[in-house]
Amino acid sequence: MSVAQRVAVSWHSVTVMERNLDELVSEARSAGPRSQRAAARLMSVMTDQPHRLAELLAGSRDWPQPRLVLGVTGAPGSGKSTLTDHLVAELRTRHPHSKIGIVAVDPSSPFTGGALLGDRVRMMRHATDPQVFIRSLASRGHLGGLALGAKGVVRVMGLIGCDVVVIETVGVGQSEVEIAQNADLVVVVLAPGQGDSIQLLKAGLMEAGDVFVVNKSDKPDALQLQRELATMLERSRIARLDLAHPSAVPLACHGPQLVGPEGPIDMQRDRPPPAVRTVWDDDTPQVFFCSAANHEGIKELAAALEQMTHSHAAQWQARRRRQAAAEIRHAVLEEVQRRVTAALQQNGNEELIEGILAGEISLDQLADHLMRESVSRSQTSPLSVDAS
Amino acid sequence: MEQPPKPRLLIGKPGLDGHDRGAKYVAQILRDAGFEVVYTGIRRSPEQIVDTAIQEDVAAIGLSLLSGAHNALFGRVLELLRSRGAEDILVFGGGTIPPKDVPRLKEMGVAAVFTPGTPARQIVETIEGLLVQRQTA
Amino acid sequence: MSSTADATNKIAAAIDAWTSGPVAKTLAKFPEQRKEFVTASSKKVERLYGPDAAIVDQYESKLGLPGQYPFTRGVQPTMYRGRYWTMRQYAGFATAEESNRRYRYLLEQGTTGLSVAFDLPTQIGYDSDDAMAAGEVGKVGVAIDSLADMETLLQGIPLDKISTSMTINATAALLLAMYLGVGEKQGVPADKLNGTIQNDILKEYIARGTYRFPPTPSLRLISDIFAYCTENVPNWNTISISGYHIREAGSTAAQEIGFTLADAICYVDAAIKAGLKVDDFAPRLAFFFAAHSDLFEEVAKFRAARRLYARIMKERFGAANPKSLMLRFHTQTGGVTLTAQQPENNIVRVTIQALAAVLGGTQSLHTNSKDEALALPTEEAVTVALRTQQIIAHESGVANTVDPLAGSFFVEKLTDELEAEAEALIQEIDNRGGVVAAIEQGFIQRQIEQSAYRFGQSIDDGDRVIVGVNKFASGEQPDIDLFEVPESTTQRQIEELQRVRQSRNAGQVEAALAAVTAAARGDANLMPPIIDAVREYATVGEICTALTGVFGEYAESHS
Repeated sequence: MSVAQRVAVSWHSVTVMERNLDELVSEARSAGPRSQRAAARLMSVMTDQPHRLAELLAGSRDWPQPRLVLGVTGAPGSGKSTLTDHLVAELRTRHPHSKIGIVAVDPSSPFTGGALLGDRVRMMRHATDPQVFIRSLASRGHLGGLALGAKGVVRVMGLIGCDVVVIETVGVGQSEVEIAQNADLVVVVLAPGQGDSIQLLKAGLMEAGDVFVVNKSDKPDALQLQRELATMLERSRIARLDLAHPSAVPLACHGPQLVGPEGPIDMQRDRPPPAVRTVWDDDTPQVFFCSAANHEGIKELAAALEQMTHSHAAQWQARRRRQAAAEIRHAVLEEVQRRVTAALQQNGNEELIEGILAGEISLDQLADHLMRESVSRSQTSPLSVDAS
Repeated sequence: MEQPPKPRLLIGKPGLDGHDRGAKYVAQILRDAGFEVVYTGIRRSPEQIVDTAIQEDVAAIGLSLLSGAHNALFGRVLELLRSRGAEDILVFGGGTIPPKDVPRLKEMGVAAVFTPGTPARQIVETIEGLLVQRQTA
Repeated sequence: MSSTADATNKIAAAIDAWTSGPVAKTLAKFPEQRKEFVTASSKKVERLYGPDAAIVDQYESKLGLPGQYPFTRGVQPTMYRGRYWTMRQYAGFATAEESNRRYRYLLEQGTTGLSVAFDLPTQIGYDSDDAMAAGEVGKVGVAIDSLADMETLLQGIPLDKISTSMTINATAALLLAMYLGVGEKQGVPADKLNGTIQNDILKEYIARGTYRFPPTPSLRLISDIFAYCTENVPNWNTISISGYHIREAGSTAAQEIGFTLADAICYVDAAIKAGLKVDDFAPRLAFFFAAHSDLFEEVAKFRAARRLYARIMKERFGAANPKSLMLRFHTQTGGVTLTAQQPENNIVRVTIQALAAVLGGTQSLHTNSKDEALALPTEEAVTVALRTQQIIAHESGVANTVDPLAGSFFVEKLTDELEAEAEALIQEIDNRGGVVAAIEQGFIQRQIEQSAYRFGQSIDDGDRVIVGVNKFASGEQPDIDLFEVPESTTQRQIEELQRVRQSRNAGQVEAALAAVTAAARGDANLMPPIIDAVREYATVGEICTALTGVFGEYAESHS
């Protein structure tokens, strides 16, 4: 056990005991002086104990939700943080009385579990703005934790009245799929002179994006990048049309790269699950030129995003419902797993497994047994799955 | 079983001094020790640092300063924490700090002061010790 | 094959035989202390160096003669036989009055040039009563709010007889204008003024942090200063392109010269784009490096920097004036090498570092004081630091001949290696679109951070020994008298500032500031309106506010 973990264990026990959730929730909702602190602690509960999301969800049906959850993603170095910083400044000007939340994710070290969370450096002008709440998160290995934890943080931001929440991703690996599941609109930031940008597009960023930003557009290669992007978007659009209406687009239109029957099928295979993105199935997403560092193109981008919040409102309602359903399914499964695991431990792990190996009981029998056990345990649990 | 959550820490540079080598190094060794460390960058006001610490729900704030303004600026950070009801957040500091100022800083409420040349291990162990103490207190 | 190549091949063969023979035998019985020996910058060091034929065969292009291209052996023909380096102790604290007293003391003790340290609010452009200045007034240098402070600072110091170096960057134009203002009052014409402003904003973004405006307007201010001084203050060194702070931030020796010369390339480019001719301004470009304790590496670094710079100026920019090709530099001993533990040891470190600077052919030198890991130096500590330079000059004999380490197999090899490494870094920066792009991408900062991290780890692992810190530590708290900036400084400075604000002509100040704003919007040279505003006792904060109104402010973009 590492030293930090030793510290963590003692920290953990206090966290769990000390933080009465109801109290924290009502404090966070109040406009009082301790509201920020309570909200911040609630966020820690979300990130550190994501399984308690279900517990909170059960009592949080009346929590306000952000009007817009915006994902900002792109390769490291593409200027995500600077763009986020400027976008937030612009939103603050447009809606001086609205609250804005920022969730900025940095990678955790796979070796030590530690992380340096530095995205804030570029956003410090908002640090003392009472209308902006910034929370940095470590990816903690991405799988599982991030999605639920980040989602929980967004919930708390909704609770404290954030109108818009911007989630800035790590920009590598799986966070792209996660962001698509967590945001209403995804802005993909690309910068010229970075081979990474195009690689990421190929690796799934393309399908995750509703809006594409060519950042650092004052750089000489910006046009080149825009052309590459346009080509890729066009190809992707045709492939989608083709899939939707196989007869609508003659194969010849695919151009030399896609000629042949395998073309569209490849596209299909490379696509993430269809639940991920649906907004722009029929129209090519917009591409914006920005130079965040020179304050160029930000106003236009903000205006377009606002416009989309209106034009896509209906789709979002449906998507948010799907997301909520998925979330609950996930939380329920997690809870079931937790209980069955506990029941398994209670019954003497080794023994039962030995029993199966010896052919004394079957897998089905064991599963039935454990599920019965875990149901009887639920009566002492503070949670009730049925309640939700 | 899920991993126990780790205390989050903040490393900040109050005042106008831009020498961030020490601050970044300490942030890195704390990261290497498994902590999640929020770094603020240089030239931050005590208000920015305290607001950040609260929003990030950190257990401790480390302040680095080489300009000699530590008495004024560390004091201001502590004062703001108290006024925000966040005096449970530990404050430690480092930089060009004359030994004679150390008792004064501790009296103000700075939990530990690290002068140049303090080995990384000692910094990490001291902070861990303070965090455990804080939990059991 | 030349006869030297023949001879060196023979020696190389002999060394090989020696390595596999006697050395191998010795190693079998007595292994060396470590597997690999490295310099302070982690460059591998061999057991023994032999001659390289190129030193003789390509003597002219690699070394040349002192005062001649490529200036590897020094920028003057006689070096210290003609005149010692300028012994220039960086000083300044509290108010102008107190700093003036320290300068006069230093001049009495035999320093030959002034070096002014400003406090951080002055360097960044905040008045002493600005909320941003809280706690910082007079702390790391003297607080200057207006021309009135500058008059006090330089009182009784004849500006026609002394050269003054000012560590000022973002607000360099303002402080230079004030210096010119004091010269005017003393009756010294601008063309008789000698001195240097640091004026190197790029390394502020990279390492030191006292930026205020974004890169583009900052580079314009610098080009405006170049143009103005070429016309009006011909003996002024308009920039001191600094590797010192890059090294302090943790870079290696090769990164120090690579990044510094990359900065230089950017400044020269900017000035040429602004319409200046390279040979008109390049002779006034000066440099500033650190001297650390790895003696040979440091000497090689200075020699490599001179050679590489001469080549860049000649080949890249087509400079023809020999003065445009000379890398003249100031050196400061390495602040980060000082330890708070056993502070007396620092005197020894500083001696070795100062020796490296002199053996490397520096034009001026600041030696750090033993107590600077803990506070600003006391007068006693500064005196010892100055005496260290005087002992090297007068007693050690190292100044009697020019470039005494030339021809050392080791030093020549290191010189070649450092030059190649630095050149590769410049190439990388070129590929990234120049130094501003490389800063925006965080490339340079990351490189430095990584070196600093490795260096820190090597100390924490005990792999690198710092005497009195991770070995031979005594565990005792140092018990030395430290300098303290008087607590009353802020109060006194603010009172003085208020007095100035009340006694000046408000209407004229306003008009002068409006002229600064107007000039910033257009593309006329900013120096004349800044000089006018300074003459009206407009403050540093007021002029900077006028400029930020047009230019905006820079914020740290890398973490």
